[in-house]
Amino acid sequence: MIKDLLDVKRWEAFFKVLPTEYIPGFVVTLKVALAGLLLALALGVIFGMLSTTKIKICRFIARVYVEFFQNTPLVVQVFFYYACLPYVIGGRVPKFVLGVIGVGIYHGAYISEVIRTGIEAVPKGQFEAAYSQGFNYLQTMWYIILPQTMKMILPPLTNQALNLVKNTSVLAMIAGMDLMYHADSWGSDRGYFVQAYLPCALLYFLICFPLARLARYLEIRAKRTPVPKKPKGVA
Amino acid sequence: MKKSSMKASALMMAAAMMVSAALTGCGGSGSAATTAAADTTAAADGAVTADVQKIIDAGVLKVGTKVDVPKFGMQNTATGEMEGVEVDLAYEIAGKIFGCTAEEAKAKKLVAFQGVTAKTRGPLIDNGEVDMVIATYTITPERKETWNFSDPYYTDAVGLLVLKDSGIKSIEDLDGKVIAVSQGSTTKKVMMEYIAEKGFNVTPEFEEFDGYPSMAAALSAKNVDVFSVDRAILAGYNDDSTEILPDRFAEQDYGVATKLDNKGLADLVNGVVNDLKSSGKMDEMLKGWGIE
Amino acid sequence: MAEVLGTIFTKANIGFMMQGLLMTLVIAAATIALSLFFGTAVAMIRHFCIGRMVWLSWLAGAYIEFFRCTPNILWILWIRFTMQGDPTVKAIFACTLFTTAVVAEIVRGGLNGIPKGQFEGAASQGFSFWQTLRYIVLPQTFKSIVPALLSQVITIIKDTSFLKAVDIAEFMRNSSIVMGQLRTPAQIITLYGFIALCYFVICFSLSCTVRYYQKRTKIA
Repeated sequence: MIKDLLDVKRWEAFFKVLPTEYIPGFVVTLKVALAGLLLALALGVIFGMLSTTKIKICRFIARVYVEFFQNTPLVVQVFFYYACLPYVIGGRVPKFVLGVIGVGIYHGAYISEVIRTGIEAVPKGQFEAAYSQGFNYLQTMWYIILPQTMKMILPPLTNQALNLVKNTSVLAMIAGMDLMYHADSWGSDRGYFVQAYLPCALLYFLICFPLARLARYLEIRAKRTPVPKKPKGVA
Repeated sequence: MKKSSMKASALMMAAAMMVSAALTGCGGSGSAATTAAADTTAAADGAVTADVQKIIDAGVLKVGTKVDVPKFGMQNTATGEMEGVEVDLAYEIAGKIFGCTAEEAKAKKLVAFQGVTAKTRGPLIDNGEVDMVIATYTITPERKETWNFSDPYYTDAVGLLVLKDSGIKSIEDLDGKVIAVSQGSTTKKVMMEYIAEKGFNVTPEFEEFDGYPSMAAALSAKNVDVFSVDRAILAGYNDDSTEILPDRFAEQDYGVATKLDNKGLADLVNGVVNDLKSSGKMDEMLKGWGIE
Repeated sequence: MAEVLGTIFTKANIGFMMQGLLMTLVIAAATIALSLFFGTAVAMIRHFCIGRMVWLSWLAGAYIEFFRCTPNILWILWIRFTMQGDPTVKAIFACTLFTTAVVAEIVRGGLNGIPKGQFEGAASQGFSFWQTLRYIVLPQTFKSIVPALLSQVITIIKDTSFLKAVDIAEFMRNSSIVMGQLRTPAQIITLYGFIALCYFVICFSLSCTVRYYQKRTKIA
């Protein structure tokens, strides 16, 4: 493995395919991750709110969504979309869309749980106070409850974003043209596995590490108890 | 002071545990080297080379075959047994190595089969998971630089499987179509060469998959238009709804692959393949499995 | 419908898929056991190595961050193709590599929640560092992280499905081979439903355990 690592010829081969395989793959991964994250956030907010309403059927639907998608592997879900969606909509589904709905729906279930816990942590009295001021349900959520939960839910949300980026690599298993697919395809074509996988790992690290640091920073900030600002001029 | 040094040593121990575990995880390479060294003396008293002696000492020949190619290498889901002409060939080679007949080798389970795909077969020879690969493995000049190949035991061509209702009649209809090919196979390369050589004005897209079942599923769901691999493999996936196009191109030879360093083993394997061919037994075996 | 079920769920197919499911559970169990052990070790190094030993803590931190920030499937492929040894052992090794990083983070979180005063208190009672860990700190830590660890068990069971990419005979891979024999949409959708159901039953019963545990500890 060390001998392979230092093989100059193999690295030259890698730098030849870097612009033609790795960069386009990296762009696909970024696009899928961003669009997937937006979908996951949207689903997470919707189902997170549903699971905290008083209406039983809404809570039940949210529960089913969360339990089903959290308790089956992403691989199975993505393969299912890939193999079965064409029958349902009667045509081929672009890999980009498969990736977005794959990670979007999967992580949406996790984000919905994060948001539910956040909402439940806000005292019930806040709802009552808001209603008494003439706010409706959505307004209460948007202006009063969700902003307060932000501090608490941001660290786990960032962690979810990190996992989402990692999980876009599942696309490689259905020839999704993402970073992992190109790295694996080139690697097995030439047998240069170290040169194929190490740069691939670094590229994923490049996206995920800042997210990991952000999550850590937010976590520490959330734990800090707020200190009242000292009035000016007082020693 | 004393407390902190004890704490330090405890943590050092934990760290050492991690490191040693990581090392043993890489496993096997060290011990394999020592057995190889010991075998050179054992080989001195006979015509058996060190690499073959190593297999004899292990008592089992590790062979990589396909698990999903009917008639060549197929795992019977009912019994778990491997079946096919390449499996029989593995027993013939095992018989030669262990000095018995192929039937005895089978009865004594002298061959340990390991399922491989087009993608995994190369690396698995190199990392020692298998001693040899007999898995519809096409001999090419590039591959010969990396592995030893025996003389060919079968010649096949690449074929194209399409859905009957797709309207595709020949390779000339493939412009803009999506073709499923296997990762680590030569299909994509030889097809592009064939198209260029014939001067067809078609530019298909290629998608690589890790196994034939995934490719068959992709074809049924119309995620791809064409499923292209060697014709021998295609035959196993052809049914009422699909057809194999008459196009056949890139005649290619299947050989038994072994690790490049294991020259002795390669010679032995080649001897077995050539004996089987000259005695007519290879043809019998192929016929026995209904292969043309 | 009966015809559809008949073609998919033959005795041979069910047996073959269940063998895969058994393999999935074996790999998951081995990974959990190993990751728990190594994860605790890494977390302790990360948490307690200070002063002259601080570089060890950094090393553990680098390990955690690197594996947390790279895709699991990458490690599965990498280990399978570039290392020697039995394929199943290598699969477990690869899963352990990235799961250890996650478990280490969980354990570290638990250790963070233990007040520093406990060490001083224990030291004043004549406990050594090691004894304090064994009898006071670790039991509390594990008690507090049981739900997080159980969730991780669910994640591992789900993650083993990535092993299909390297042809390990686990549930997803064996089911895919059965899938290769099927042609009609009804058959394919039914089989996917069955695969999902199998994973769901296992993972959902585990997550119910998590919730039961959380509820019980909250009351107590």
